[in-house]
Amino acid sequence: MNLFVDRYPEEAWIVRAALASSFLALFLGGIMGLIQGLHRTGFLQIVQDSTYYTVLTLHGVSMVLLFTIYFLVGFFQWAVTDSLDRSAEDIRFTKLWYFLMVAGTVMAAAAILGGFTDATNLEADVLYTFYAPLEAHPIFYIGLVTFVIGTWLAGVDWFRSWWAWKKEHPGERTPLRAFMVMTTMLMWYLATIGVAAAILFFILPWSLGLVDSVNSLLTRTLFWFFGHPVVYFWLMPAYMMWYVILPKLAGGRLFSDPLARIVFVLFLLLSVPTGIHHQYVDPGIAEGFKFVAMTNTMFLLLPSLLTAFTVVASMEHGARQRGGTGRLGWLRSLPWNKPAFTGMALAGLMFAAAGFSGMVNAGMNLNYVIHNTLWVPGHFHLTVGTAVALTFMASTYWFLPQITGNGVFSQRLGLVQVLLWFLGMVFMGNAMHRIGLAGEPRRTAEPFYDGVTFDTALGSISELHFQIALGSVILTVSLLLFMAHLFLSWFDVASNPAPDNGVIPEALSGPENAPIVLENLRLWTAIALVLILLTYALPLASIVSANGFFGSAGTLVGTAYEFAVSPFVGVVA
Amino acid sequence: MEIHRYETIWFAASLLLIVGFIGTITYGAVGVGVEMVDDSGGTVDPDNLGSHERFGDTGVHKVNESHYEVNMIAVHPSFIPSEIEIPAGSTVTFYMTASDVTHGFKLVDSNLNTMIIPGQVSEITAEFDEPGEYGFVCHEYCGSLHHEMAGNLSVVPEDEWGGVDS
Amino acid sequence: MDSGTESASADAWDGEIETEIGHDEYDPYGTLTLIGIYFVIIALLWVFMYFVEFLGEGPTVM
Repeated sequence: MNLFVDRYPEEAWIVRAALASSFLALFLGGIMGLIQGLHRTGFLQIVQDSTYYTVLTLHGVSMVLLFTIYFLVGFFQWAVTDSLDRSAEDIRFTKLWYFLMVAGTVMAAAAILGGFTDATNLEADVLYTFYAPLEAHPIFYIGLVTFVIGTWLAGVDWFRSWWAWKKEHPGERTPLRAFMVMTTMLMWYLATIGVAAAILFFILPWSLGLVDSVNSLLTRTLFWFFGHPVVYFWLMPAYMMWYVILPKLAGGRLFSDPLARIVFVLFLLLSVPTGIHHQYVDPGIAEGFKFVAMTNTMFLLLPSLLTAFTVVASMEHGARQRGGTGRLGWLRSLPWNKPAFTGMALAGLMFAAAGFSGMVNAGMNLNYVIHNTLWVPGHFHLTVGTAVALTFMASTYWFLPQITGNGVFSQRLGLVQVLLWFLGMVFMGNAMHRIGLAGEPRRTAEPFYDGVTFDTALGSISELHFQIALGSVILTVSLLLFMAHLFLSWFDVASNPAPDNGVIPEALSGPENAPIVLENLRLWTAIALVLILLTYALPLASIVSANGFFGSAGTLVGTAYEFAVSPFVGVVA
Repeated sequence: MEIHRYETIWFAASLLLIVGFIGTITYGAVGVGVEMVDDSGGTVDPDNLGSHERFGDTGVHKVNESHYEVNMIAVHPSFIPSEIEIPAGSTVTFYMTASDVTHGFKLVDSNLNTMIIPGQVSEITAEFDEPGEYGFVCHEYCGSLHHEMAGNLSVVPEDEWGGVDS
Repeated sequence: MDSGTESASADAWDGEIETEIGHDEYDPYGTLTLIGIYFVIIALLWVFMYFVEFLGEGPTVM
């Protein structure tokens, strides 16, 4: 047998644990999503309006932080171990970072769940963006930091493997999957500086009562320093699957390995210095800084547009190897009966649509039309909610046997599941975008106001609300199918043998064709740092000089703290 | 490095798209004159808005025949003021700040949209040529009654305008 | 590298492949077609969003 679980049983355990955590979060977040979808459209309101925001916080944190990042660490562990063909340097360290993430999750979850009951003072109704001075219980922030530290150590673990591999393979190109993991983690280290600074220097001391106030715009800006690259952090594992697994499932080979590397380097360079595009309509930030962020954001379209070509070309290669012909007739020769393939291909199709709404989001003054309307969650339900989530779910139909040694329960059931997810998101995504264009805000329990009407160009708001509710229900059915199927496959109810198909075919244009400078990750990290400094140094300096590090005047303790911490903060800012 | 001819074509088309997008935005900013909310509103102490020269006196103020100012405070779950009346054919500058947490302001059926952040003043100017009724809503979650935070802006014919409100 | 002669290990694809196609004998013209259609749709939608939904809509921040 050539299965990953047979070759690396201990690493496979970590991968399974991470995936189980991920899908638990997906399940919980999905149920919250159903409650919201029915509540804000007025079809079924089983919680109080005020509780809606607890539900929303749980949905956001579960989906965008827990589901995605747990899946990522599991998948990356597989990618590093499998592509370098080497065990973890110290499996105890691997377990350490996983359990650190779990500890962080438990703390943050306890704070959020406390919001459902008055029995404790635990509360975190601050949504996943936790804009201060909205305030959560300190345990929420401590949990988030602990979770992030877990991911930092995971990165250290994978870098140790890579360094050890390089020592034993001097002069060789890093295998593609390991290369993708390293560039993604470097981007993550740069990105998380923002959220770590926001929480550790400002929000946590304030929530503990050490300082009296926060500079809202400063913590908000530091959040988005992290908040935009985090979307690429979710997206990179999906990209990796499209580059590495999808061509194989289509029956083909990756079109160009060097181009895949260039794309990941571009993400390392450009993911962070774009966060201000979430703040296009913020006061306190000059238009010039917003324009710079926009330019970076627009150029960040490049790696995604290049990916579209490479991935589709790889699928076309597979179709033609399977006997497909014609200009578009080859599309019929793709393995549409396999859920792993179909799910990923549909996820990619949805990502193309999401690409367009993302381009609109990126357009500086165009942001006036859609900022904080339902258009924005419409956009990211197509990106993280479909491109990422559907790719993760679909890939599980191929991936799970590699890490459990059991075949999946039923390919046909899997196919129904991925198709339902796609269908549900078609309704949901279409309706959310169009409602947003009509001006209805996001993050609202009841978007029904006296004297405020939302007019749509086509159809009516109530018809679109119905589409959201319908989409939520279809998505929930798909989610329940997925969880049931996962359970049946994991515990090998049908005793299906695991197919021995873990081999990844080589790219048509191999790594030896890539310029050697691509391997120089120090260089790319240094350039990324320079771009970040160019984009963020002046805006942060102007925000701090206008309102201080801590907003308005603080207590005596706070003043002493400010005096002590300012030099360090100054270095970061 | 081998790059297929089609990849080169697509690379060029992608760059064209990106430059086209940036060009459109620049045209909107420079050619049409759309301005972004920025730091021109300055900063305030959110704990002492009552004694602030502008926010101690919320509501509509007439600057001259064609220019009006609206001073607004956002505080969960209300806008102060929440009912605004201005004459048609006027230029209106809104000054908005928050006394508690971060809020948002969107005037529905228009392109007026800004964040309202404690300590910062959002300054936006727009022309209202025709009479009409507009609703506005808070679009950033600000607390358990966030969904009740809304108001109305009436643009009335010039001769029906009732003057500044109290 | 001449990919045409290099075997991509047949067991990578569950034995569904009729013919192996190497790098030099493959022109992704289907992909170019699809992505060209995508380009046109994006460009048209962008113009619609900017000039109709945005500049064509009510009062604007000046």
